[in-house]
Amino acid sequence: MVFMAASNEEIKPNEAKKVVPLHTWMLISHLKVSYNLLRRPDGTLRRELAEFLDRKAVANIVPVDGVYSFDVVNRTTGLFNRVYKPAPLDNNGSLHRLATGILDFESPLSSSEIVPVIIFFHGGSFTHSSANSTIYDTFCRRLTRDVQGVVVSVNYRRSPEHRYPCAYEDGWEALQWVCSRSWLVSGKGRKVYVYLAGDSSGGNIAHNVAHQAAVLGVEVLGNVLLHPLFGGERRTESERRLDGKYFVKLEDRDWYWRAFLPEGENRDHPACNVFGPRGCDLAGIKFSKTLVVIAGLDLVQDWQWEYVEGLKRFGHDVKVLFLEKASIGFYFFPNNEHFCKLMEELKRFLKG
Amino acid sequence: MKRGRERKKETQTTSSSPPAKPKDLTQTLPDSGGMDELLEVLGYKVKSTDMADVAQKLEQLEMVMGEDGVSQLADTVHYNPSDLSGWYQSMLSEINNTGSDGVSSSVDFDITLPGDASTTMIDFSNNNVTNGQQTSNMYDDDPYDLRAIAGGAIYGISSTDESLEDRNGIKRMKSAGSDEIIDVPPESPRPVVLVDSQEAGIRLVHTLMACAEAVQQNNMKLADALVKHVGILVASQAGAMAKVARYFASALAQRIYKIYPRESLEDLHMHFYESCPYLKFAHFTANQAILEAFAGATRVHVIDFSLNQGMQWPALMQALALRNGGPPAFRLTGIGPPQPDNTDALQQVGWKLAQLADTIGVEFEFRGFVANSLADIDAGMLDIRPTDEEVVAVNSVFELHRLLSRPGAVDKVLNSMKDMKPKIVTIVEQESSHNDTVFLNRFNEALHYYSTMFDSLESSALTQSNTLDLEMSEVYLGRQICNVVACEGTDRVERHETLTQWRTRMNSAGFSPVHLGSNAFKQASMLLALFAGGDGYRVEENDGCLMLGWHTRPLIATSAWQPGSVVET
Repeated sequence: MVFMAASNEEIKPNEAKKVVPLHTWMLISHLKVSYNLLRRPDGTLRRELAEFLDRKAVANIVPVDGVYSFDVVNRTTGLFNRVYKPAPLDNNGSLHRLATGILDFESPLSSSEIVPVIIFFHGGSFTHSSANSTIYDTFCRRLTRDVQGVVVSVNYRRSPEHRYPCAYEDGWEALQWVCSRSWLVSGKGRKVYVYLAGDSSGGNIAHNVAHQAAVLGVEVLGNVLLHPLFGGERRTESERRLDGKYFVKLEDRDWYWRAFLPEGENRDHPACNVFGPRGCDLAGIKFSKTLVVIAGLDLVQDWQWEYVEGLKRFGHDVKVLFLEKASIGFYFFPNNEHFCKLMEELKRFLKG
Repeated sequence: MKRGRERKKETQTTSSSPPAKPKDLTQTLPDSGGMDELLEVLGYKVKSTDMADVAQKLEQLEMVMGEDGVSQLADTVHYNPSDLSGWYQSMLSEINNTGSDGVSSSVDFDITLPGDASTTMIDFSNNNVTNGQQTSNMYDDDPYDLRAIAGGAIYGISSTDESLEDRNGIKRMKSAGSDEIIDVPPESPRPVVLVDSQEAGIRLVHTLMACAEAVQQNNMKLADALVKHVGILVASQAGAMAKVARYFASALAQRIYKIYPRESLEDLHMHFYESCPYLKFAHFTANQAILEAFAGATRVHVIDFSLNQGMQWPALMQALALRNGGPPAFRLTGIGPPQPDNTDALQQVGWKLAQLADTIGVEFEFRGFVANSLADIDAGMLDIRPTDEEVVAVNSVFELHRLLSRPGAVDKVLNSMKDMKPKIVTIVEQESSHNDTVFLNRFNEALHYYSTMFDSLESSALTQSNTLDLEMSEVYLGRQICNVVACEGTDRVERHETLTQWRTRMNSAGFSPVHLGSNAFKQASMLLALFAGGDGYRVEENDGCLMLGWHTRPLIATSAWQPGSVVET
């Protein structure tokens, strides 16, 4: 097949394919190519084409692999949360045969055990994907099954149509909703044992909601940030070293920040550069313990390390899971060691 | 009669099971029909044997897709994004053939969005066609509660045991005897969308469910008591859920007392058309496919399996009239049921369309066929002209499922369809499984489906002043509910099946899919945004077909077909 370079870029040999597992490589490359088609230079997005290309999954109250799901829509906002629950087991550990099969909104999750409820914010650089995107529906199902807790995936508003602080507001709304569901309560404490989690921009949202919760005294038991999206004006070493190497170009990152942050703002805005020159003060508040998962092939990692250092400086409990050879999106497939390490660490984090 | 046996499940569902051990990175999981399972679960279809090949195409695409490539590719029409190989190939071909005509490379379809730089507006009323194109350029507080219902026992049943494969290759379970509870898993996923879940209405749904289960078990005494209880509960409720509950309760009562409803007289189609976007979407998307199929033809023939008021055709005729090079001669064959008062409803519709055709300058011919069933029609009656003279489209909106009430009918009709030598067949059907052999499964599916439908109607109500259309639409849907729940045998005609099931049937009958593209998707989305009233409607692409749903629940699906087997590429 004859092809020509259509631009002045040198053709780099595809290093990524040598290091990244094949399935992950294919999916993330596919998304990269798709997203390239969607971004316009003027900062707008081809939203209909984006929705056409995005694969979606329906919820399903028939358990599949031990997990069932259903969507709850907020009539006022038109936004929905997708709730995933493990299918109940009977005393023998087999799948429980529901006599009437009604979704129960009256009983707590458990009156004796603590059942974690994880509010999950999907990634997509604030712009792409939805809670019902198949890649995220599948991930949330696996998460639900592996931690045996409830996962609530939030369909927050996206940029460029809805900039900062919309996603954060929707995240806050979701936290309040979850905390007020009697059917998400568990344990002898009879409360909702809530965690916040997210990948990429979802991790950024999780931090922000956790911050708000800490300030307002709402108890969040832990945050799990999967290669969260942070940034800043200056260029870090990892950004320079990894620019364009593993699916992501710095200029694309810049595009997404321009699309999310208020017009005229730069990347030192505290939503982006959390502990930077205009950064947050987390002193004296009860901030939830945090697990930050850093992928060694992610160009954003220096900002994630700075985030970790920032939390430590303010005396907050933070742990890092550094997966040196992992690329972004390593968790979309379960057939690799990064995924396994992630789930093991997650389970430890939720139990601790 | 045997019960479905409990399948011995692996321990993967217990909390103590270990995580999957790391596998060899190059190993793919056992496949289903040759597809890589890990990608399939994410919505992408790649044959396991093709993985390396597809990866290579992707690499090539990345390399040749410079900035110019991006804007060119972004504005072309895309098809079936699940088929990665096909999609990459079409883009590679597109880039390698820069400068080919017949491609809408310079038209930006995007509607003005906040911050959107492009300002091209598309004139919807005329379905404008731009120059140089052959193809058409035509894109907690609530008082009620929607309770979700999980089906009756659905675990641990091996679907390969004691299943009957009917002629259409769809597995079915034998239905239980009178005392047994059915342990049969529903065939399709049951997507439940709750709106502002509230406590109120729980008991209502619970009671409906219990009543249906009593009916399933043939315990009519209990069923009777429960249906009366529903009546009492419903009296104190308002909103969509209460309305749905009333229809289901009424249908259950009819089933219990064996008072079967007679075929309704008044045609409520128009009201349903006006009050919500489902029919408009059906017509619009089907017309898109038909227009593309009619490209370049000088004589065309549309065979409409259920003419009703002919509402689909003015838009198509107008699009044809505005076509580059002028309209083709347009022949319409409309099929419909006999009228109780013996009026020739079909001819009246034909006459109105003829008048329209006259004003817009389209040569028009109409023929009506009255038939009790589509199976009574065969191609020989329809005056099919040679394919090099006239291009044929067969169109069926919410009609094919009725054939499933008589054995052999649907097969006969699909065969006749082939004899009509269509270039394209457009089918729109309700996206739900209301034809399961097990009554309880049908009931549960229908309860979810119509709850969502009624909910969407209620949302539409907020933006409409005409309540008559809305009320009549509820009656229209109520009739369907009654048919699904209370009727059996040849009377039960609302035998909706899912797109997956129709696909299997069409493939078996010797049809291959014609994919609907991103242009149809985009324009359908834009139309919804402008005209839908209530912004919970969503368009979704599914393996070349388009679905319209309410929030995350698809409710109707449009698919297009052509005779001939699927070609392996």
